[in-house]
Amino acid sequence: MAWNIGANDVANAMGTSVGSGALTLRQAVIIAAILEFSGAFFFGSHVSETIQKGIVDSTIFKDPIIIVYGMLAALLSAGAWLQIASYYGWPVSTTHSIVGAVIGFGAVIGGVDAIYWENVTFIATSWVISPLFGGILAFGIFNLLRHRVFYAEDPVAAAKKITPSLVFGVVFVLSLIMLYKGLTNIDLDLNFFQSTLISTFFGLVGYFISILCLRRITYQHKVDTGTQQVEYAIVEKIFGYLQIMSACLMAFAHGANDVANAIGPLAAAIDILLTGTISENATIPTWVLGLGGVGIVIGLATWGWRVIETIGKKITELTPTRGFSAEFGAAATILVASRLGLPISTTHTLVGAVIGVGLARGIEALDLRTTRHIIISWMFTVPAGAVLSIILFYIIHYIFSGTFEVTAVKGPIDHITALLSFMLPS
Amino acid sequence: MLGTIFSVFGRSPFALLQSHMEKVSGCVHLLNDLFLALENHDYQELERVANLIGTLEHEADRTKNDIRNHLPKSLFLPIDHSQLLEILATQDKIADKAGNIAVLITLKHIDLLPSFKAEFCEFLSKNISTFDSALLIIKEMHELLESSFGGVEAEKVCAMVDIVSEKEQEVDILQRFLLKKLYQVENEMPYTTFHLWQNICESVAAISNLSEMLALRIRVTLELK
Repeated sequence: MAWNIGANDVANAMGTSVGSGALTLRQAVIIAAILEFSGAFFFGSHVSETIQKGIVDSTIFKDPIIIVYGMLAALLSAGAWLQIASYYGWPVSTTHSIVGAVIGFGAVIGGVDAIYWENVTFIATSWVISPLFGGILAFGIFNLLRHRVFYAEDPVAAAKKITPSLVFGVVFVLSLIMLYKGLTNIDLDLNFFQSTLISTFFGLVGYFISILCLRRITYQHKVDTGTQQVEYAIVEKIFGYLQIMSACLMAFAHGANDVANAIGPLAAAIDILLTGTISENATIPTWVLGLGGVGIVIGLATWGWRVIETIGKKITELTPTRGFSAEFGAAATILVASRLGLPISTTHTLVGAVIGVGLARGIEALDLRTTRHIIISWMFTVPAGAVLSIILFYIIHYIFSGTFEVTAVKGPIDHITALLSFMLPS
Repeated sequence: MLGTIFSVFGRSPFALLQSHMEKVSGCVHLLNDLFLALENHDYQELERVANLIGTLEHEADRTKNDIRNHLPKSLFLPIDHSQLLEILATQDKIADKAGNIAVLITLKHIDLLPSFKAEFCEFLSKNISTFDSALLIIKEMHELLESSFGGVEAEKVCAMVDIVSEKEQEVDILQRFLLKKLYQVENEMPYTTFHLWQNICESVAAISNLSEMLALRIRVTLELK
């Protein structure tokens, strides 16, 4: 599963940076490898915990081994569904597949009571909100760039003026999200004031470093109007460096949110195998996060780079200014969602961000049929993942206990009473 | 999922729009050669150039249809579909006019009489110059897209549109002089030839009119304060 993510999904996050020319293929792969792993390792625990224990209530099951089978089935079914979808070219999300599979197994085998429906509702809402939010953020950023830089008398000077502030913003936001109760792996516990202070410090460091780097650009604006082309080229070059930053952010955010798809179920299974139950305080063991990160990197190194290359060659319409706006909008959204433990689709969020930039008149041509395909895929992925995972669960159960009879859950009477108590709040 | 992010980008019609304008420009500039051949009484050359204009006009038509066929409703552009199609249609009409002139000039053996030759040549070159100014605007399309149709770039294009309008006005004045001269020398040619020259002058004038319309249609897409 992690391999699959590295092989197919990472390209969606990094392809825009290669296409705009901000990164070479080699740079993109290296950045992706380092930052996907970091994101997964340092920040991936929140979302992984959601998938591990936030969807299915393990106490419902009389025999916890059922959950192990179920999680295994979920992983296999998500992997299978992704293979099918990529064969047909459907824009299916890794996250939606695994969540659908887990819900499917939980709901059918464990009964309606086994699912934390509140959480599921939160998650489903976040699936709709994240592309919208990414789009709004990207729209806002590109609008800012439009009016401050492109509409200015001297675009190069305007770009030089606005870049340090942008760098400050990016570094500050990233630091804050990560530091404020974010990095649980290394036992770093800071309160809000401390996190803000440190983030401001990092932000200022970025601010001054960028000012120093910009000194190297010595372009003098002439009042003669024939120089637009040259000036815009320089602006794009400046934003090429900014896009490198946003590409790093994207890789980090993607690792943080998507590693959970692979290791969330795994962590649940491990917990059960080791302790016999999933306790409230179960966390994700660090080595499991590391395993997921490594899996992603291997997938990237063996197959993913090819996909990045293909996408990078095909996406020629995105210049660094547009790429930066879209990537920052998407990455910030994904990071916030990761911090909240919400598994969202990174690809769909990025699509939302790109459309946001397009709405600000930033892109030459947008194919809105993709949005329709994405929404249709929403409707199919969860049921498909659920059905597949149920089928696979029964197969696995048969393989391991020689029977199709799942006796380890509460019987029909228990189900009916549970259902009744669910419907009648008293 | 493979390349979902790729599928959100559509096929941009703007590069094709520029290439269409290049073809139209080819047609219009051939008019110089056309009337030069007429001046030199080289009727074989005249036919050849006229055919060439016709061929180029067909090619422009093909590009136009290509653009129109690849403009589904689901394609979102930084300007309205209707605005784009209007610009395209106006460009195409210019090519049509050039084609018209080529046909008219070969319908009958006519002569560029010395009595109105000077006025006509000035008239023709001013029309083509008006077209060239509009061509520059279309060439500026790439910068317009980069700056999202606003700001200093938009103001620059606005100034270019004003230049086109000015030239078109000058053409109107020249046209009046030319027609007056034509009426003065009406007895030097049979009526049908006179009628043909009138048609030719109308079509030539249409080139600058359409160029101005093109410029104004582009102005509509700009985001000006």
